[in-house]
Amino acid sequence: MFLHNLKYEFLQNIRARSLILWLILFPIILGTFFKVAFSGIYETTTVFSTVPVAVVEKGSNENFRQVMESLSEGDDALFETYYSDEESALKLLEEKKVSGILYAVDEQVSITVVSAEGGTSAEGIRRTIIKSFVEQYNANRSIIMDTISHSPEKLNDVVSELSEDMKCNENIPLTNGNHDNMLSYFYNLVAMVALLGSDLGLGIAVSSQGNLSAIGARKCCSPTRKIVSIITSMLGCIAVQTVCIFFSISFLAFVLQVDFGAKLPMVYLAGSVGGVLGVSFGFAIGSVSKLGVNAKGTVTTAFTLVCCFFSGLMIGNMKAVVSTYAPWFNEINPAAVISDSLYCLNFYDDYTRFTQKIITMLVMSVIFMLIGFFLTRRRKYASL
Amino acid sequence: MADTIVKIENLVKRYKDLIALDHLNLEIKQGEVFGLLGPNGSGKSTTISCLLSLLAFDKGNIEVFGRKMTPDNYEAKRNIGIIMQNVAVFDELTVIENIDYFCGLYIKNREERKKCVQDAIAFTELQDFTRFYPKKLSGGLLRRLNIACGIAHKPKLIILDEPTVAVDPQSRNKILEGIQKLNAEGATIIYTSHYMEEVEQICTRIAIMDKGKKIAEGTKDELKKMIKNTETVSVETSAVPADVLEKINALPHVYSACCTDGRLEVKCSGGKHNLIRILNVLQESDLHFGRVFSELPTLNDVFLEITGKALRDSD
Ligand SMILES: Nc1ncnc2c1ncn2[C@@H]1O[C@H](COP(=O)(O)OP(=O)(O)OP(=O)(O)O)[C@@H](O)[C@H]1O
Ligand SMILES: [Mg+2]
Repeated sequence: MFLHNLKYEFLQNIRARSLILWLILFPIILGTFFKVAFSGIYETTTVFSTVPVAVVEKGSNENFRQVMESLSEGDDALFETYYSDEESALKLLEEKKVSGILYAVDEQVSITVVSAEGGTSAEGIRRTIIKSFVEQYNANRSIIMDTISHSPEKLNDVVSELSEDMKCNENIPLTNGNHDNMLSYFYNLVAMVALLGSDLGLGIAVSSQGNLSAIGARKCCSPTRKIVSIITSMLGCIAVQTVCIFFSISFLAFVLQVDFGAKLPMVYLAGSVGGVLGVSFGFAIGSVSKLGVNAKGTVTTAFTLVCCFFSGLMIGNMKAVVSTYAPWFNEINPAAVISDSLYCLNFYDDYTRFTQKIITMLVMSVIFMLIGFFLTRRRKYASL
Repeated sequence: MADTIVKIENLVKRYKDLIALDHLNLEIKQGEVFGLLGPNGSGKSTTISCLLSLLAFDKGNIEVFGRKMTPDNYEAKRNIGIIMQNVAVFDELTVIENIDYFCGLYIKNREERKKCVQDAIAFTELQDFTRFYPKKLSGGLLRRLNIACGIAHKPKLIILDEPTVAVDPQSRNKILEGIQKLNAEGATIIYTSHYMEEVEQICTRIAIMDKGKKIAEGTKDELKKMIKNTETVSVETSAVPADVLEKINALPHVYSACCTDGRLEVKCSGGKHNLIRILNVLQESDLHFGRVFSELPTLNDVFLEITGKALRDSD
């Protein structure tokens, strides 16, 4: 019985043409569009690995020199180093031959970069790399010194670990890194697909309510309890939504090669939970009896788009703007929560923040479902 | 005395200021094909919805199969088949899947259901279309699918709300025959329509509704006996002078004669030779005439006489 209903719920939803359009085609088109629009950035992000820097020295910097040397050799060298005096270094910088100037004063390092803000995203990334190198170097200076004085043969290991670290870290401190923003477009795309599941959720409410659709009336006249039919519909929709989400994420990850980080299974999980959130949101809206069916469809779609707008689907740094003016909104904006969960997965090693985001999604889903159940519990209608 | 299947007492339903049902009483017995006839907006669908406990009503009492009808009366619901005025099928499911889905809401046993679905398909003659999606079906086939979805679980009481709207005459006849067959197999039928011909054709008992009230009830013969009209004679002719009209009006049994648009219409009550007498008058007055019709009263005449207006203003 249950399976019987579930089977047809699934079939019916998976065959709905508008669904195919929104949940499958749309992400493909938009994702591809993003990919093309950002492809320039992508190329530079893979090439940036060697960053040209000028080094201006004062006093003795034996150790620093050694570190720089080991970082500047080999195929995957981090830096291309030019030693010079300050004047010619500034000239190099002006001509954009180097991305930054490292001032080394008795092993203490500080930096200057082309201009504090702006430039292309590739320049931004290079700046960040230099910055984080300096931080790393200063933070680990004592270890480096130790190594050089006690077992110089291990310097390469230490340094390569340092630069390895940095390559992983290069994303973390990016407050205005454009690389970040670009990924956030894709995260938001996933969020949008998840939230567009609200259209499915809307269908649950409409097709189970006697006053909203002829099918609903027919169901209400049958001996199958409403709660049973709603729950099966819900599960059917969630199943379909999960398929769509998996499809979208797979398309982004494998066809467009979007970098979701190492924890891809968790990305799928986050997407699916986001889908549940979308479906239950639609169910809640669909159950509000005051609105007409078309109005509800408009409301859910508009809501989805507005959420995605504030979380940065259309304008990349929207989320940053929101976090300045109304940080709480990012915590409850479903699109922001979904895309943040993906962000956390990629950029944080531990799962604390990710788990927190997932819990937020689940709590919101439960709230929406309860609202829906509460509103649909009525079984006789004042008007059909 | 046959069992009462449906009993509606003093049903009142208001939509804000509009009284959609005004103290309606109906009693439907086992084995009947009960017709609910009324013009658009007379409250037929509202009655059905109240009967099904879909619609909350203001006053009254409804019993189905001898028990009060409530949304929780699943036992009653199991035995009711409902074919709504609006087609209620999933566009994304094929004919056979739709029937199976709706049948599954009633019948849990898989084998039993399979058989029921096959029976419903055979019954509505949809064998050639089982893999079709509703969008690909013609209007008549779609209506038949709608019916199949409603009757697959072999209900004891079948309610059809205008199942033949927008259906060509051939399909309509098929549907009507089907309904009679269902009735012959033991189902009690409630049939609403504003097509009096249909109701006359298949219903064993008829209630005529207008503005939420039941204005007459009985078999079609009983209904026709309620009115004084027994025969309407129409004659195609040119304009009839007033004095001739007067002469016709003075004939025995004639109670109304008027001429509009080259058509003389004379209503008679009783008597056997009305037609001859009327034609005689026309001949004596040297009036030429074309075709001549003599019609027995229809339910439309019943409605007309009771309410003073035609059952269907258009067509
Ligand atoms: N939801 C509603 N809100 C307000 N008035 C309504 C509503 N539904 C029906 N009505 C009114 O109630 C009356 C009865 O409507 P109902 O649908 O029962 O008529 P009907 O006999 O089935 O007509 P039809 O032949 O057009 O189907 C009509 O006047 C209609 O305008
Ligand atoms: Mg109606």
